[in-house]
Amino acid sequence: MDSRDTILKKLKANKPEFIALPKINLDIFDENIDMVKEFIRKVEVAGGKVFEVTDNKEVLSKTQEAFPDTKVNFTNLDDSGFFNTIDYETLKNPHKLNDLDVLVLESTLGVAENGAVWLTDNDIPVRVIPFITKHLVLVLPKENIVPYMHQAYNALDPEVLDYGIFISGPSKTADIEQSLVIGAQGAMSMTVFLV
Amino acid sequence: MSHSKLAGIFNKDEKKVDWHDKALWFVRHKRDLSVHEVKGWEELRNLGHGIKAHTLSHLDVYLEQFEANALKNGVQVHWAANGDEHNQIVHGILKENHAKKVVKSKSMLTEECHLNPFLEANDIEVIDTDLGERIVQLAKEQPSHIVLPAIHKNKLEVDELFQEHLGTKPCNGDPQYLTGEARKHLREKFIHADAAITGVNFAIAENGGFVVCTNEGNADMGAHLAAVHIACMGVEKIIPKQEHLGVFLRLLARSATGQPITTYSSHFRKPRKDTKMHIVIVDNGRSEQLSRPDFRASLHCIRCGACMNTCPIYRRSGGHSYDATIPGPIGSILSPGKDLTKYSTLPFASTLCGSCSDVCPVKIDIHTQLYKWRQIIGKETPQPFIKKKSMAAMGKIFSKPSLYGKVGAVAHWALRTLPKSLINSWPNIWGKTRDLPVGHKQSFDQWYKERENNKKDDQK
Amino acid sequence: MKVGLFIPCYINQLYPQVGKATLELLEKLKVEVVYPSGQTCCGQPMANSGFENESEGACINFVNNFKDFDYIVTPSGSCAYHVKKHYNIIQQTDEVVKVRKNVYELCDFIVNVLKVKQLGASFPYKVGVHKSCHGLRGLRLGSSSELVTAPYSYIEALLKEVKGIELMTLDRSDECCGFGGTFAVTEDVVSAKMGKDKIQDHLRNGVEVITATDVSCLMHLEGLITRNKQPLQVRHIAEILNSTIESKVAHPKGQKH
Ligand code: SF4
Repeated sequence: MDSRDTILKKLKANKPEFIALPKINLDIFDENIDMVKEFIRKVEVAGGKVFEVTDNKEVLSKTQEAFPDTKVNFTNLDDSGFFNTIDYETLKNPHKLNDLDVLVLESTLGVAENGAVWLTDNDIPVRVIPFITKHLVLVLPKENIVPYMHQAYNALDPEVLDYGIFISGPSKTADIEQSLVIGAQGAMSMTVFLV
Repeated sequence: MSHSKLAGIFNKDEKKVDWHDKALWFVRHKRDLSVHEVKGWEELRNLGHGIKAHTLSHLDVYLEQFEANALKNGVQVHWAANGDEHNQIVHGILKENHAKKVVKSKSMLTEECHLNPFLEANDIEVIDTDLGERIVQLAKEQPSHIVLPAIHKNKLEVDELFQEHLGTKPCNGDPQYLTGEARKHLREKFIHADAAITGVNFAIAENGGFVVCTNEGNADMGAHLAAVHIACMGVEKIIPKQEHLGVFLRLLARSATGQPITTYSSHFRKPRKDTKMHIVIVDNGRSEQLSRPDFRASLHCIRCGACMNTCPIYRRSGGHSYDATIPGPIGSILSPGKDLTKYSTLPFASTLCGSCSDVCPVKIDIHTQLYKWRQIIGKETPQPFIKKKSMAAMGKIFSKPSLYGKVGAVAHWALRTLPKSLINSWPNIWGKTRDLPVGHKQSFDQWYKERENNKKDDQK
Repeated sequence: MKVGLFIPCYINQLYPQVGKATLELLEKLKVEVVYPSGQTCCGQPMANSGFENESEGACINFVNNFKDFDYIVTPSGSCAYHVKKHYNIIQQTDEVVKVRKNVYELCDFIVNVLKVKQLGASFPYKVGVHKSCHGLRGLRLGSSSELVTAPYSYIEALLKEVKGIELMTLDRSDECCGFGGTFAVTEDVVSAKMGKDKIQDHLRNGVEVITATDVSCLMHLEGLITRNKQPLQVRHIAEILNSTIESKVAHPKGQKH
């Protein structure tokens, strides 16, 4: 018998009698929060910045203002030819992206309770870029903010996902004497534009 | 060495103990602030507990479901009965892909299996990419905490280590500079890695996906650059459905560091084009633990580290005093299941204060399990003759009031009735740092009897 | 209502004043109290050391001594907890079940059975409450800082009514003192360090007298306090609730140790 069968057989023999799966009653958690306000507060706690803007054009102009002297920029927002300094083909060789300065991506889901923003393969042309970029900029429609993680998962079909990630703030560590340092292995800054 | 001996060594430097205690207490404090903001926190813990208990009662079924779905997703699934087999499997995958350079994000399981030394002996470079883990790796040590692996090191020690291994400039332990240098060093490693190994925080039966949580982004940097991603998980990491992540991700980071969520919660399900994804499912003693009704709830653990931060002993004895992969309260109920004799002092490294059980996000009855391991250790491991004898003597005296009465009359202290060698050692150890109680001329017993007699006299 | 008084062995021999205060306090509250002479120990020392089986005789003796009372009251949260939680090792006869159900720590009994808070005590000192763990997290005599529940404390509810008392707030409201039974000896280094830190917390916050529901914790703390000649006193909560000191003297109740 191979290990697979041995393990499964042992687990089957050793498990306790069936215990029912508890039901999740979402009303217990609901406290009627102002979702946009809470979202902004939590992104800031996580070390990120939030701006409210009217459209994608404003996103890119504000981004250029915030990061004026960058060399390598990329976004997949529409009509962004003027912003991009590299094209999609270059992205296909991610090992060469170590000098990516600013990346602007669109998201379809944010969570108020923790300031997390959701991205999937649909939003990210190449998986590694939100991590390898120096500055990460995310665009999120306000009405796509949900209060808690429960609602976030209710909005996500488990069957269609290939890869997805919740990002809350820039990469960070406190591994040296518990001093918080922003910019560990991933992005050094994170900005969210609410449209 | 026993826990108390190792704790004694850690306590030689009281300043360090104080720092360690305060740093971890601060993490506990941040956890408190954070969980008090969550309406229904205790309900959330109940759910966490309930979902895990359910899952364990159906574990084989969920694992098979997970496997089937993962295969459908184009992921290869492997099963390892123990640490050796796990290491062989990982090595096999690496060999097959001609991988010589590996980056690894935090995985307590691979620590448990001692994967690093095994791969290194096979001529493979393994780089731990979590900053704390990289620090202990460079220092050739073990992590002393499951969430804060280098909490036992001060910044000057890190400074020196980095000077020696990464060629940094002396900086008086500036965390900003040191982290920046580590970032550069690790970027190089990520970019040239042939394979990435990650742990798994949660594996979802219904869709074959798995979630990895980090703050640094190191799991993603590794997995998205290398051509091969190997994810290693214990059988207990399974949860039934994706929606259950809603419960566990709300519990995990708040309990661990007080953050409402980790910076990155990555959901892996299918490999990138032209790359490979493998999952190694490991038993290594977990099925035995599942067979023990009193201890199976220890498999609920989501590795948040809160029981370590809250434990007044852990904070003052350091993670290495447990001499086990998982230190602290949870380690003290997991380790005896693996080697009862080797870890026989761990369940006694506790005052049974119960703080761990109250802080645990999945409501493991940790201190009750510590008490229960003590009973098993008392019965099944060789105990010092003197301890056995004295316990039996105490049991006898306390079961018969007549014996007890006589004894009480002679001695101030019930323990004085124990075998000489023990009597002598007790007050001696107690008295090293503490004065013994003075005692009174008259015991409560005698006073009460006198009072009752006087009452009777009065009535006459 | 007939109440059996359980006085743990170390109180009997080393801190008899705590037993007296408990008895007097209950009698003040018009409770009929009997102290059964056949009592010995609840069995905890053996059980916590991993020798539960050796403690069976003690458990049976405990039940035999207290089975005829409506309630069993003890000035020890730890012993009450042990009877409630760990007497599952002996056969669960009606008597055993009854004893386990009706055993109470003193404050718990006063607040939840007698339902009184004002005891007419007076104790003009700055007092720090040490929330002994078995009482706090075992018997739930108060809310523990880990849980997200409405805060409460039976001990503080009683102390707040004491005339002249000033309850001081600690930095760490319910950290263990490090006694832990045999832990105090097998892990003496960590035990002493925990006690030292606990004492510092009280000193930092201006405490003059540390009180607790458990003498065992206080014995450990007192041992450290006397050894290090620190300006602190320890008093079991029964002594404070039974106290009638109107004005402050250097050594409350004149009990110099
Ligand atoms: S036992 Fe509970 S508190 Fe400890 S690490 Fe595991 S989940 Fe966290």
